[in-house]
Amino acid sequence: MIFRKDDIIVNTISRILIPFIQLYALYVIMHGHYSPGGGFQGGVILGASMVLLLLTRGYDEAKYKFPEQIATLFSSVGVLIYAGIGLLCLFVLGNFLDYGKLAALLNVTPSHARSLGILGVEIGVGFAVMSVMYSIFLDISTGGVLPEDEEE
Amino acid sequence: MEVTLLIQAADESFRLLEKARGQAVDLLNTAVKLTSDTRSVEERKLQTFLSSGQDAKSGFQNFIATFVMLFAFWALLSGKFDLFHLSLGFICTFVISYLSHDLLFANVRVGDIRVIIQRFIIYMPWLMYQIITANVHVAYLALSPKMPIDPQVMRFKTKLESDISWVTLANSITLTPGTITMDIHEGEFVVHALSQKVADDLDTGEMEDRVAHVFMEADHIYIQDVLDVARIFGEMRRAA
Repeated sequence: MIFRKDDIIVNTISRILIPFIQLYALYVIMHGHYSPGGGFQGGVILGASMVLLLLTRGYDEAKYKFPEQIATLFSSVGVLIYAGIGLLCLFVLGNFLDYGKLAALLNVTPSHARSLGILGVEIGVGFAVMSVMYSIFLDISTGGVLPEDEEE
Repeated sequence: MEVTLLIQAADESFRLLEKARGQAVDLLNTAVKLTSDTRSVEERKLQTFLSSGQDAKSGFQNFIATFVMLFAFWALLSGKFDLFHLSLGFICTFVISYLSHDLLFANVRVGDIRVIIQRFIIYMPWLMYQIITANVHVAYLALSPKMPIDPQVMRFKTKLESDISWVTLANSITLTPGTITMDIHEGEFVVHALSQKVADDLDTGEMEDRVAHVFMEADHIYIQDVLDVARIFGEMRRAA
């Protein structure tokens, strides 16, 4: 069960660190196409920051910031972005995830289109990984029964 | 006969004077206590007033401050300043500041942040020096054949007020070899010390004083106390 323990050191340090961890995760996602990192790594860091929030601030505040319904929605939306970009390439007569063919659609050079396509796919992967990490942790720590379900 | 009477009269007058002096001191004490009581009540009123006003205004201010800090962090990480990456950074920073604007500046104390940063930078070398000396001491403890350790858990109440200064003190204690902060419970530190020497070093309270100085605690309070007492004395002199 998740409950809030008032350990002031952990609370304060995590309070200060969480925004920077989240921004670092987004940096890893956004710069994934030409530096180490990418959607999965960034998504894991973002999910870890959510888990840290959940551990230090308790379920109520984490629910306020990032409800479980949103997490479920985001995990589907991430897959939708990934598959959508892949299918879009099929529609412009390329292979699945053949970003070069998107150049005509985006009105840019093929190499630039590849870079943008990878970025889009990575954002989708990041979304999915982050929310799946979060919901896995939530499910494990609550045993699948959320506090609001118990009240009913 | 007259001499005895005279001495008696002098004694009597001295006793009266003494009594008056005692009463005056009592009065002064009560006055000081009363002013400090009213002051704390006033402070609490002011605090609730400020915090209620803060909710609306400082939510936005916190957002802006968080945004600026995070955007600087992004620029530091990214190192690419073309329009595409900067706009990516703008969007990301905006999302994160919207999500976490209440975390970074959760409870802002009265105190100039620039002075605090300046004092914190000055505090660092002193802490480094403490860490090095404690390191040498712990190395001596570990290497000497007798191993003269004396592990103990000590508790002390701190005079610090805000959680950020508690955490700074706790982390400074933990960073210094030989001492570890185990817990902070309602302003009481529970510290494990490896030997009597490091425990004594901590007991002098120098580190606590320095942390209080860094976060501008205590100094503004004492000045206010002195001003209050001066005002009471002025009133009394005018009445006399």
